[in-house]
Amino acid sequence: MDIHVDFTPMVDMNMLLISFFMLCTTMIKSQTLNITLPSNDKNIEQKDLAKAAESEAVTLILTSDYDQNGSVEDNTIYYFFGKPYMEDADGDGLLDTPEDPSMGVLHAEKFVGDKEGVQQGIRSILHKRNESVLEKIDSLKKEWRRPGSQMTDAEFEAQAKAIRNDSTISRPVVVIKATPEASWASIISALDEMQINQITRYQINEINGVDSALIQDYVNKQSAQR
Amino acid sequence: MGKVKMKRKSTRIDMTAMSDVTVLLLTFFMLTSTFLQKEPATVITPSSVSEIKVPMTNVSTILVSPEGNVFVGVTGEADPEVAEGKWASDSIRRVIFNNAIERYEDYTGKKLNLNGLQRQQATEQFAKMNMFGVPFDRIPEFFSLKSEDQENWLAGKGLGKGALSNVRPSDVGIPMDDIKYVDQDGNPQTTNEFQIWMRAIYNSGNDNLQSAMRKGEGIAVKADQSTRYDVVHKVLDNLQTIKYNRFTVMTALKTSED
Repeated sequence: MDIHVDFTPMVDMNMLLISFFMLCTTMIKSQTLNITLPSNDKNIEQKDLAKAAESEAVTLILTSDYDQNGSVEDNTIYYFFGKPYMEDADGDGLLDTPEDPSMGVLHAEKFVGDKEGVQQGIRSILHKRNESVLEKIDSLKKEWRRPGSQMTDAEFEAQAKAIRNDSTISRPVVVIKATPEASWASIISALDEMQINQITRYQINEINGVDSALIQDYVNKQSAQR
Repeated sequence: MGKVKMKRKSTRIDMTAMSDVTVLLLTFFMLTSTFLQKEPATVITPSSVSEIKVPMTNVSTILVSPEGNVFVGVTGEADPEVAEGKWASDSIRRVIFNNAIERYEDYTGKKLNLNGLQRQQATEQFAKMNMFGVPFDRIPEFFSLKSEDQENWLAGKGLGKGALSNVRPSDVGIPMDDIKYVDQDGNPQTTNEFQIWMRAIYNSGNDNLQSAMRKGEGIAVKADQSTRYDVVHKVLDNLQTIKYNRFTVMTALKTSED
């Protein structure tokens, strides 16, 4: 005797269950990003705070524009190197250009990432500031990836870390400031740029009056040019 | 001419193999699936190149909704390192709830209108909640509601109507208004409800959660990518004030060219 069981309904039911589980599953687990903020303790004295050389300091000021629906339209990063230059000797209401125009003058950039393997926007600026570290890490990476290389992953990580924290190379100190309007995504992007450009010395700080004045001046200069 | 005789074939297909495959797939999905946790606000986290995964156990999550409402919760599975799964999320939450209420009553000198049985029921309901965010003085009212009304309250839907007729938008989320109190040494201090909740979570008696929070991996801040910085900053500032200055923020994965 030949017994046949029809499995078609069984398959139907299984397919339904599979589609249910597929829709309900979150395959991608959230990632996290570690942040360490300075303590709010007012008792810490100024002299205890780490001071950075002026030539190494980079300040980023983040701000965002929103459209009518409240979604982010555009993120802008203002940046300057060293101390801000706040002189206005000719009295035209706009800040003057200092003797060394590369320091202390506010510029604006965007987050654009890479294009055909070349850094664009703010990434290229930070890349240039941290070039000596990145070059060393690149050559280390080449050595590590070379066929027949004896270097283990752990050794590579340890050596890369040593390069990143090597105080004999000139490395930038980045201060990230955000205006109240800056979107959360832009802050995460800024922290990302630190990781991508292997910058180990950075901090998130509060925006102050000087920064707002610089941005206002930048906007004024832009509209004067038009 | 001889006719070619076509043999009649049955159109039946044997589905047994197909069934085998589907059952295998089904088992795979059943075993790997972690269900989406229900949250009072939908949040799209910003993307980052960081590849550190959210830990499965011992995480306290702070959710910042795009409107700026703050919710706290302890999520994750039972910690396998603690005996007999004793510190599953719901048993931690029971301790946190009572701990937080005691702290609040201590600091403010007010008494919440929760008698023994009500408090027990509220604790049980709280233990099942993934995310919580209601001012302390509205807690008795919140837990007297049906669960769908509670969800609407947290999501800020249908406020001022029906069962939620005297719920104002400011009653959604944990408030961060200053609470002034005098400490044991007689010095004036300020705290707020958010800090009370975070301290209650820290002191819930689970050593592993405590050390994870100290290291920073036990606190996860989850905020929407288009949320303004001043909204998130309020939370970060409070965390700094209570010296939890190491923490993690939740992000989605972004691929970047190396």
